[in-house]
Amino acid sequence: MLGVSGVASIAVPLENSYHGSQTDRYEIRPEDLLAVDRQARREGLELIGIYHSHPDCDAYFSVTDLKNSCAWYSFVVVSIREGRFDHAKSFRPNADQTVAEPEDLAYPDLEESACQRS
Amino acid sequence: MPKILIPTPLRQYAGNQSEVELSGGTVGELLDALSRQHAELRRHLYSDQGKLRSFVNVYVNDEDIRHLAKEATPVSAQDTISIVPSIAGGATAPAETATLSKEEILRYSRHLIIPEIGMEGQLKLKQAKVLLIGAGGLGSPLALYLAAAGVGRIGLVDFDVVDFTNLQRQVIHATADVGRKKLDSAIESMSAINPHVTLDRFDTALTSENALEILKDYDIVVDGTDNFPTRYLVNDACVLLGKPNVYGSIFRFEGQATVFAYRGGPCYRCLYPEPPPPGLVPSCAEGGVLGILPGLIGLVQATEAVKLITGIGEPLVGRLLLYDALAMRFRELKLRRDPECPVCGDHPTVRELIDYHQFCGVPRGGQAPAGLKEGEMDVTELKVKIDRGDRFILVDVREPHEFQICSIPGSVLIPLGELSKRTGELNPASEIVVHCKSGGRSARAVEFLKKSGFENVSNLAGGILAWSDKVDPRVPKY
Repeated sequence: MLGVSGVASIAVPLENSYHGSQTDRYEIRPEDLLAVDRQARREGLELIGIYHSHPDCDAYFSVTDLKNSCAWYSFVVVSIREGRFDHAKSFRPNADQTVAEPEDLAYPDLEESACQRS
Repeated sequence: MPKILIPTPLRQYAGNQSEVELSGGTVGELLDALSRQHAELRRHLYSDQGKLRSFVNVYVNDEDIRHLAKEATPVSAQDTISIVPSIAGGATAPAETATLSKEEILRYSRHLIIPEIGMEGQLKLKQAKVLLIGAGGLGSPLALYLAAAGVGRIGLVDFDVVDFTNLQRQVIHATADVGRKKLDSAIESMSAINPHVTLDRFDTALTSENALEILKDYDIVVDGTDNFPTRYLVNDACVLLGKPNVYGSIFRFEGQATVFAYRGGPCYRCLYPEPPPPGLVPSCAEGGVLGILPGLIGLVQATEAVKLITGIGEPLVGRLLLYDALAMRFRELKLRRDPECPVCGDHPTVRELIDYHQFCGVPRGGQAPAGLKEGEMDVTELKVKIDRGDRFILVDVREPHEFQICSIPGSVLIPLGELSKRTGELNPASEIVVHCKSGGRSARAVEFLKKSGFENVSNLAGGILAWSDKVDPRVPKY
């Protein structure tokens, strides 16, 4: 998610590079994240967070999520039920990735938000 | 001077700069200089032990330093250094956030105090999803022990009903369960042993149409089936979905077990590329099985399932375990993945599920035979012929030990295996009726006799079991 001071204005979809069941695991290639970070710099935006979905499952921050996260970004988990958005939560892990505090997540008017397809 | 790009969230610790220029000959020197200049930054990049945090990736231009000389990677004045975290995650199961309750800790205490399992292993078991195909001989011990061990989610696939012949080995079902669905009886037993386990019922035969949908949500598939079409179906579905197939099979006093389709290991088709000719390998219903045997083989499968879940020990991959109860010996055969295997080979030709009944050359089970086929005689007609005093020969092609259990009065015992040597005992001019237990072996006997010049031969449909059902209920079924 790219934006300025905690407000996401662009969501850039990245490929799930996990080898295995894509419905319950995800991995982001660092080089993909690097490319997004460069894109953000070019457009005067910041990489503020990383989102992923939990298909047919609650939007909780799992142990897997925590262990493979970092304290630098907000982590938005989106619960998708039967292919449709159900709810989302945002978390911020601590530096040692032992705890993630929930963050407030507010939704803008959907019409104003942009979704970039890459 | 080389330039370090600071990730947005870390800029606050680097004087709000988005890039910093520093002098240094290697990546390590640059990062060290950076974190000396901005002490707060250090904590975000390095662990307390002074190592780069595991999620921190450092790129020199477009190259990950892990693929170069790591922190000793040299940098020149034109280079740009980027810091990128590794990110991954996923929803393994909602149970993941849960821990063990006090009651569960007590229940699993003997696991928890084994260092190899411990809390970590027990939580893995709790998060595991295992699918059992069949709630019969192998399925009984599997279901009971996997439930007791605390596997969090167990799916059971079975469409059958408990009958008296099951009770000698299918210990999950009790005498009072005869006539009930095996699923109902098994699930009741499992919940009684461990109410913490979530149980999924699949009251159906596994078919090419439903297999992928049923298997997809499980981590491990355990094959407790007794027929070749389903074995090939389970194998192919597991290979296609990338799920391990914990295999076991039993016959009389001998059993086999192995783990197929696990991390580059062989699959069932690497071992048996082609099914045996129909009728050549008898099923347990035809050939019998020592009741204890599925207990032992099923528990070898259960052990392998628990090992795969917890990641301990050496999985039974690439090894076929052979067990002989009479000799009380275990042997092992090495198995290798066949690069030419049509399913798991280097150039697979089977990319979706096929018609496995056709592949194995056997008729689809579960369908009532539509009337008599040509050359078959109904048991009631045989009764009429006997009562009328017709002259004909009734040949029983079962084994002598089966004949001892029960027989139809007036029948002559010529076991199928001896028939070719003993045709001289039969008059080709007479009418001959052949029977066995349920009609399979006698059909082969009729075919053989017709080829040998006997013209007036018929097969007793349904065998002595049908005789017991429709004519004489005093004849015991077995």
